[in-house]
Amino acid sequence: MIFIGSNAAEAHPISMQHILHAKEVNNAPIIVVDPRFTKLAAKASEFVRIRPGSDCAFIMGLINEIIQKGWEDKEFIRTRVAGYPEMAEIATKYTPEEVENITGIPAAQTRKVAKILATNRPTSLTWCMGGTQHSIGSSITRAFCILQLVLGNMGKSGGGTNIFRGHDNVQGATDMCVLSHTLPGYYGLSDGSWKHWCRVWDVDYDYITSRFKEKKWMNAKGFTLSRWYEGVLGEEKIEQYTPIKAMIQWGCGSNSNSQYNRVVQAYNKLDLFVIVDPFPTMAAATCTTDNVYLLPCSSQYETSGSVTSTSRQIQWRHKIVDPIGGCRDDYSIMKDLVERLGFADKFYKNIKETPEDITREINKGTLTIGYNGQTPERIKKHMENWHTFDIETLQAKGGPCDGDYYGMPWPCWTDTHPGTPILYDVSKPVAEGGLPFRNRFGQETTYVMSGREENQLASKGVCNPGSEVKGGYAEFKDVVPGTNWKTDLSQKTIKEAIARGMAPFGNARARCVVWTFPDQVPIHREPLHSPRPDLIEKYPTYEDKPNHFRVFTRYKSEQNPNLVKEFPYVLTTGRMVEHMGGGAETRSNKYLSELQPEMYAEINPVLGNNLGLRDGEMIWIESPEGGKVKVKAFFTERVDDKTIFMPYHFGGTLMGESLAGNYPAGHEPYVMGDAANVCTNYGYDIVTQIQATKDGLCKVSRA
Amino acid sequence: MKKLILPGCILFWAMAGLAIAQSQGQLLTSFGPGPSTAAFHEINGLFTGDWQQYGQLFTSLQANIFSQIFLLVVTVVPLIFFLHYIIIGPMKFSHEGRQIYYFNLLSRCIHWCAAISFALLVITGLLTIFGSLVGGGVLLRSGRTVHLISAVTFSGSALFMLFIWAKDMIIAPYDFLWMLKIGGYLSKENKTVPAGRFNAGQKSWFWLATLGGTVMAVTGYFLYSFQGNTDTLRLSAIIHNFLGAAMVTVFIIHLYMSLFAIKGAIRSMISGYKPEAELKILHPRFKI
Amino acid sequence: MGRMKFLCDIERCIDCSGCVVACKEGHHIPVGVNRRRVITINQGKPGEKSISVSCMHCADAPCIAVCPTDAIYQRDDGIVLVSKDTCIGCGYCFMACPFGAPQFPSGQVFGARGAMDKCTFCAGGPEETFSVKEQKLYGQNRIAEGKVPLCAAMCATKALLAGDADEVADVYRERVFKRGSGTNAWGWDKAYKKK
Repeated sequence: MIFIGSNAAEAHPISMQHILHAKEVNNAPIIVVDPRFTKLAAKASEFVRIRPGSDCAFIMGLINEIIQKGWEDKEFIRTRVAGYPEMAEIATKYTPEEVENITGIPAAQTRKVAKILATNRPTSLTWCMGGTQHSIGSSITRAFCILQLVLGNMGKSGGGTNIFRGHDNVQGATDMCVLSHTLPGYYGLSDGSWKHWCRVWDVDYDYITSRFKEKKWMNAKGFTLSRWYEGVLGEEKIEQYTPIKAMIQWGCGSNSNSQYNRVVQAYNKLDLFVIVDPFPTMAAATCTTDNVYLLPCSSQYETSGSVTSTSRQIQWRHKIVDPIGGCRDDYSIMKDLVERLGFADKFYKNIKETPEDITREINKGTLTIGYNGQTPERIKKHMENWHTFDIETLQAKGGPCDGDYYGMPWPCWTDTHPGTPILYDVSKPVAEGGLPFRNRFGQETTYVMSGREENQLASKGVCNPGSEVKGGYAEFKDVVPGTNWKTDLSQKTIKEAIARGMAPFGNARARCVVWTFPDQVPIHREPLHSPRPDLIEKYPTYEDKPNHFRVFTRYKSEQNPNLVKEFPYVLTTGRMVEHMGGGAETRSNKYLSELQPEMYAEINPVLGNNLGLRDGEMIWIESPEGGKVKVKAFFTERVDDKTIFMPYHFGGTLMGESLAGNYPAGHEPYVMGDAANVCTNYGYDIVTQIQATKDGLCKVSRA
Repeated sequence: MKKLILPGCILFWAMAGLAIAQSQGQLLTSFGPGPSTAAFHEINGLFTGDWQQYGQLFTSLQANIFSQIFLLVVTVVPLIFFLHYIIIGPMKFSHEGRQIYYFNLLSRCIHWCAAISFALLVITGLLTIFGSLVGGGVLLRSGRTVHLISAVTFSGSALFMLFIWAKDMIIAPYDFLWMLKIGGYLSKENKTVPAGRFNAGQKSWFWLATLGGTVMAVTGYFLYSFQGNTDTLRLSAIIHNFLGAAMVTVFIIHLYMSLFAIKGAIRSMISGYKPEAELKILHPRFKI
Repeated sequence: MGRMKFLCDIERCIDCSGCVVACKEGHHIPVGVNRRRVITINQGKPGEKSISVSCMHCADAPCIAVCPTDAIYQRDDGIVLVSKDTCIGCGYCFMACPFGAPQFPSGQVFGARGAMDKCTFCAGGPEETFSVKEQKLYGQNRIAEGKVPLCAAMCATKALLAGDADEVADVYRERVFKRGSGTNAWGWDKAYKKK
């Protein structure tokens, strides 16, 4: 198992049971790649200390080493992978020595890790925010996937890329696309997608269109969570006809936003700001104007509904108690809001019974990822029959759920399909939870970099057992004329595909080259704020990107080789086990507050002593953007002597000033501290615009 | 041929065993020697290392020895005095003659303040030590409160006593002579003993009560407040108990002296007057 | 009847403090009183190990030996309990305990310590089982309900084992065996280049 940018022991303690089980029972080596010696690293058999932001170089180095030694899965690559030679060509630049130069990982260790991966197959690869929150986050995550493709670890039990999600329903929220660039179920924003959902909602397409100022905004990506405030402040050029004027934060730990001091300015500039949360969040305390409304909502124990876990399993959560303390559940708050906005008749057309009918609507429309088989009845049946599921395979043996995989991991193509426990597993029939790779990007491609033309469908002979076509095939469409498998609400297309032993989305190859991305093959680029001027020259970042989710985003113009002179230390952030997210909930719990009562910054004793600091002393940490936090210095060898680590859960003080008086009386959290994200640097991913909180620069001084 | 089979078999199994052991060995060496036990050792050291300093000592003392010592003190010492009273009997002085004003009102007040608080300290202290006989609970919890209040009162009085009597309590060479004669208490006749305003017995009681009292107060503070590290607390408990035993012993002596050994001695602490006859024998160096 | 024991598998403990919070939440223990805590050695360095510690329910418990009021007693199944009605808060048990298990919530009078509080192995106290008074003074009585203590039940990685000593030992022995002969399979030298 390899963990990179993941501290499961603190962020996902429950998963550790299985991780340690693998180590203990299967003798699986655990490789932990992290800038910090985390609590997970304490359980590792190989700890690799990496410079923040250089993950891609390390992974490409591993790929290169594996290919050089001939350890790649040649048959898997030949039959199921596309764009491999183009990728391999680029990987050759990342020799172990070059990797050492970029990442600080000794060449010998890169070789050793490559060997461990080659001799322990399948390997499970896990990453978390440490892998994604970089300006090249999308390249880094793709490199992880390519590594698994090269090793042939995809679609196998014990293999795959297993990203641990932050909370219990983050996967569900992602699948519902609580995002600005796509409709639920990853349908995107095209006209066809809008029409599909209008059919699902039973709402007139023209009515939806009329709700927008102009039709073109229906198809335009919106602002992202990481940069919405630019739309309020107007300091960067925005591509929208008006600044943002109102905002609802629904269950949002707002102090997880980078450049938080600027976010605060935006709060105070909004005309209307509504916070829906069980506890007053830090956002509630930072607002000095009277534009804020707090709507106390219930916790998960006071409401019910379906939730989707990291493993794509769907479970039903039953209500334990009625909402207490005058709060209300999310459904009723939403209902009131919709009613007052005056479109309840359209909004609730299919929804009579809450929340079951909401789940049914999801079943009806979310065909892309096979959300259609998990009806409320089936989910509840699974919850009632836990005991019938096998602990190893998660498949029910006998009983009412016979043959189902627990939680019907999506895609669950029909209401009799057992769910797909492992994606892209061609060893099983599609009807029993098998799948090939999806055919998504056409059938023929000519690569720009090599001029080579390649068929994107899987090679002959590779298919799920019982497939009518023995080899690659395209996605299903026009079974019901004018529709494809994604938009056929009658689901006849999907059913026909399953009946023929085939996957509705086709049988294709996994891509190593993504021709729509700025970097078609993942390459290393230095973080915007890099401590290595020499590497900035060698691995410069992207050109500036205007209209990146409606905001002008600086890349090249932000990357300044001289910045390190004034801000010499790398700043990275992360989680601690006692608190969660922005900490509004956990810092309001007396027992958790007792365990972690103070905000701190981890500093290596060597660095601390060189700076003349004392352990436990208050220090200022300042970012290049002018954000600064006053925190306690905590000397520990978890971090190396160039890196400073801060947990991001704290809030309640801003730039050293307490906001305790701004909370509703009696509702201030037990523990307050400066929010680490005041200090996290400018920097956003080139594709997704996720904030780069893990690889900034900072300076330290005594408070 | 048959002869070869058995050794052959043994050899085969031995080889096979070796091979298995070797492969196991490789498996194991690939993971290396694990320090699970070493870590447990370190953790154990963390707990018991600190404990071995005074924890063990305190535990064994408190488990039996302290209560036995106190039992001895409260039984044997009174028994000895009882025998003394029977065999030798108390000293008797005429209270008819001239009365000397010996203790002024202030010193009498302070004395009684100290006496009552000290008596309470002894009683509540002993109650705690023999708590299992009383059954603990509310009675002893109030006892602890009384102990605290008495301790504060006594500390104050002792400080005053130190102030007003320290001059008379300075140890003089003749005190050793007094000690050698044990104050003449083992004799049935009233012979003169070398003593000034206070005799050597009173002086030792005084210094024990004031200086020893200070130590008791400091250790008691630690025990009550739980300030300081665990070893300080353990050491405090040990000192508090041993010194306490000594003070209770001397307290009983003092009681006996004032109530029984010298007839009417207690009157001087009430009225402030001592008979001249008594002073001439017991405090000959006191200038009237 | 077997003897009840705790055992914390330090190779599994990840220092998440779930046991601590479970205990406090489950028994409504005041802040500042720690029936259980997690201790970490070599923090942030190779060789980092954590262990969850509470009252060990010693066979020959020093606290019982030193208690002046005989407030602490041992059940037949080895669980060491305290009678809060008898306890006078003298703190001797704290001084005798190598593990720092006895805890003293502050009392009412002159900042005196209240009655000693410590891990009950989720077995309540001398009060009548399931009575309101037992619940109030000692928390839940899960042993009487036939359940393991809360901390062990909540442990995410099943590092903390609780129950009959023989069975706990069996579970641990099996784990150690699976790790590969004794303590050998965990490989610090390999991971951190120690000799």
